[in-house]
Amino acid sequence: MNKSTSQRLPPLKRNWWLKHRFFKLYMLREATVLPLVFFILCFLAGMVALLQGAESWQGWIAFMGSPIVLLLNLLALAASLFHAATFFVLFPRVMPLRIAGHSLPDKAIVAGQWAGVVAVALLFFWLLGRGGV
Amino acid sequence: MQQRDFDIVIVGGGGAGLRAAIGAAEQAKAQGASQHIALLSKVYPMRSHTVAAEGGAAAVTSAEDSHQAHFDDTVSGGDWLVEQGVADYFVHHAYQELVQMERWGCPWSRKDDGQVQVRRFGGMKTARTWFAADKTGFHMLHTLFQTSLKYPEIERFDEYFVLDLAVHEGAVIGVIALQIATGELTLLRAKAVVLATGGAGRLFRFNTNAGIVTGDGMAMAYRHGVALRDMEFVQYHPTGLPGSGILITEACRGEGGILLNKDGYRYLQDYGLGPETPLGKPENKYMELGPRDKLSQAFWQEQQAGRTGKFGDSDVVYLDLRHLGEKYILERLPFICELAKSYINVDPVKEPVPIRPAVHYTMGGIETNPQCETSIAGLYAAGECASVGLHGANRLGSNSLTELLVFGRLAGEQASQRAAQTEWADERLLEAQGDRQQAKLLRLCDGTSSEENWVELKHAMVQAMESGCGIYRTEEGMRHSLDTMRQLRARFNKVRVNDTSKIFNTELLECLELECGLDIAEASCLGALERRESRGAHQRLDEGMQKRDDVNYLKHSQVFYQGDAHAELRWQDVDVRFSAPAERAYGDAGKGEKA
Amino acid sequence: MSTEQISTNVISTQSASTKHISVKRYLPDNSTETYWQEYDLPVDDSTSLLDALNHIKEQLDSTLSYRWSCRMAICGSCGVMVNGIPKLGCKTFLRDYEGDIRIEPLAHFPVQRDLVVDMEIFLEHLAAVKPYLIDDNPVKPYDPNAPETYQQTPEQLERYKQFANCINCGLCYSACPQFGLNPEFLGPAALTLAHRYNLDSRDNGKKQRMAELNRHDGVWSCTFVGFCSKVCPKHVDPAAAVNQGKVEAAKHTLIALFKG
Repeated sequence: MNKSTSQRLPPLKRNWWLKHRFFKLYMLREATVLPLVFFILCFLAGMVALLQGAESWQGWIAFMGSPIVLLLNLLALAASLFHAATFFVLFPRVMPLRIAGHSLPDKAIVAGQWAGVVAVALLFFWLLGRGGV
Repeated sequence: MQQRDFDIVIVGGGGAGLRAAIGAAEQAKAQGASQHIALLSKVYPMRSHTVAAEGGAAAVTSAEDSHQAHFDDTVSGGDWLVEQGVADYFVHHAYQELVQMERWGCPWSRKDDGQVQVRRFGGMKTARTWFAADKTGFHMLHTLFQTSLKYPEIERFDEYFVLDLAVHEGAVIGVIALQIATGELTLLRAKAVVLATGGAGRLFRFNTNAGIVTGDGMAMAYRHGVALRDMEFVQYHPTGLPGSGILITEACRGEGGILLNKDGYRYLQDYGLGPETPLGKPENKYMELGPRDKLSQAFWQEQQAGRTGKFGDSDVVYLDLRHLGEKYILERLPFICELAKSYINVDPVKEPVPIRPAVHYTMGGIETNPQCETSIAGLYAAGECASVGLHGANRLGSNSLTELLVFGRLAGEQASQRAAQTEWADERLLEAQGDRQQAKLLRLCDGTSSEENWVELKHAMVQAMESGCGIYRTEEGMRHSLDTMRQLRARFNKVRVNDTSKIFNTELLECLELECGLDIAEASCLGALERRESRGAHQRLDEGMQKRDDVNYLKHSQVFYQGDAHAELRWQDVDVRFSAPAERAYGDAGKGEKA
Repeated sequence: MSTEQISTNVISTQSASTKHISVKRYLPDNSTETYWQEYDLPVDDSTSLLDALNHIKEQLDSTLSYRWSCRMAICGSCGVMVNGIPKLGCKTFLRDYEGDIRIEPLAHFPVQRDLVVDMEIFLEHLAAVKPYLIDDNPVKPYDPNAPETYQQTPEQLERYKQFANCINCGLCYSACPQFGLNPEFLGPAALTLAHRYNLDSRDNGKKQRMAELNRHDGVWSCTFVGFCSKVCPKHVDPAAAVNQGKVEAAKHTLIALFKG
């Protein structure tokens, strides 16, 4: 056969993902990175402000309190939860866990991951609470 | 016309063709030679019909089993029309081939200790059928195809339709093929050619076969004077889905499935296969594990007696698996569940599956000697297209998957040896034959309106085969079918292809396949009509012909092509060197048969 | 009329209803343009799309070209787009469709004619990943001193069995936008096949295959869209295989790093 001479098609157009609901949902999953980038930038700015001194820190606190920033960060929280949900569902397919030769059911792995999220959140709130005292 | 030179050309990319290609490549390597092998197929190799085989592949495996027992099962299963030297070679090489498949990565189902698992199959004295769930053919074909990719000396020509063999002075010198994608002809000059083109189940209306199983290779060899042998023996598989004929594997019964008539009665006990075996405890050669010919015949008898049920417009009996339990069914028979759910909306875990017999396998084919060589020097045949003589009058389930390995390899090795000692013929000889094929295609596609409609002819053929050459046959019915084939062959000369384009002209291919089908259908009808006895899959209702007649018909039929004139039939002695014909008995009647 | 007629592609004329399907035609012998052609078909409850195409071929329009063979969803020939979704014609039933049924050739492959696409690139990608058992100690093929089989427990078989069920139909390539964007991407089926052999306890070829897998056009072009697994008619879950392949590729890189 004429190997390596097979035809190639021109690549897809940029709007390929608008064709299917499935692809739109995928793009939404990928787009969750945008509000998260905003959150990370805020976080980094906070670190820098902390280093620069009290005045700068107060300015950052005020900035974070503004309604638009609050809204964007709430969006980032929602986006990260959505992303986590999709990721957790995919995880058992990527890393099938086996115990004593038997694979762990997908549902158990997904539940385990959410349990992890809750645990980390509780730990965080506990640390935060102690710091406040 | 493009021309290419190869040491060996293999026609057909199914199990036998792929095994032949690998066998030839290994043989050449062992001789320190490098041979160039062409593998032509009208479809991509993994589309070949081997893919649809479900149940398994037989070989003597356990310590309690013996080659003698497998030989005896095969010979009595074939109602003593088996070439016994061939069967002997087969049973001794079967295990080796299945082990080789395992070493190539075939995912055979396993026992807990990691050994290969075997299952029961019809007509076999003991469990000796290797399996990969219920997709054995699929896994074997893909394993062979993928393994073939290791061999750069094998050059594939996917979607090339071979139109004809080029033969000169009694020896094959190459093939003429149509590249389907372009409509151009290619001449392949060769020192040896292996035909591995599969069976001809599509001659019949209701069958388990893929659309490509049209007997093209048989017709090609036949038209060059090679005998088609034992073509009257066509296997009805007892369990096809109503409507489509889709195969429901014999492994269902091997695993313990039972057959019921409309009253819920296990009717097989009334047909010399009893006594009834306990539910969930199948016994080899009893009841549901009788051979396919007997089971299909029992269906017909039940149908005549009005004890079959209805599914849609089809008369059916029922395959009940429910007692095996969901877990076991899903582990051993997942594909069957998928098929039954998709195509007739029945879940085998919850309901009995309605089934009925359907044409499944062509026992006869291109006559070869025990080394797979035909009467044309350098032309070999293996697999379902060939009649090497293993199956006789009725094939046992799971012998054919092993056959395509054992004889595919042998054919490939023989071809390699021949190629090492032969020179190419003069290329002008090939060109002349290529020109003739080109002219034939031009005539078929000359753009004039067709006086005969190929669809009508095809439907007439499959109807006549089914009505005249079914499970039970009569003199009158077969004569009518034979006359029909002769008329249809004459009418085919007036067929023209409506589609005159070159690129991927599937209408042209269908016409060429139909022309092949009509030629071999005539051979099949002629063999059936002239065999005035009942043996294996050939059962007659005519007075005085309802029993086997070893005095007159312990012989192979050979049909020879005569161009536009009627085909001719001769009889050939059967090799019975090890086992004299005896009563074929199953159930309790078969007890005490020699082990 | 008998439902058995379906086996010879004749759909019952006393069937319950008529359906309308549109087929995208491309006849390069005549024109470089594609066009839509409409057909009205008698259908019953069991009519598959393949039955419908066969009906068109035999009764309405013999020039329509498409591939098919087994009609039982195991040979992988009859993939087409049905209303934009890749499907096997033999496993798609017209009873499941209300309104428009639009049939096109499989996406992302060059079209040869009508519903027939050029699968050559797919085969190239399959061959590229060395999809066969690579064995440190191969038996001489057909060694008369009977080599024995490997041992493989049901658990070991279970690890790769699902990935060995691919029928090479190519639906996943039509579902994969990354393959559509970059045809050099090895794609779901080839990567799954590589993974199948990598997971096989009898195989020793993972290192050799990594050269193909652990590169941009290998596993790393996959962004886990996951549509390949949705359309797979055999539930092979190629997306899982490809992404397990990423984990393996990452491990391979790390190990290579520490070994220097």
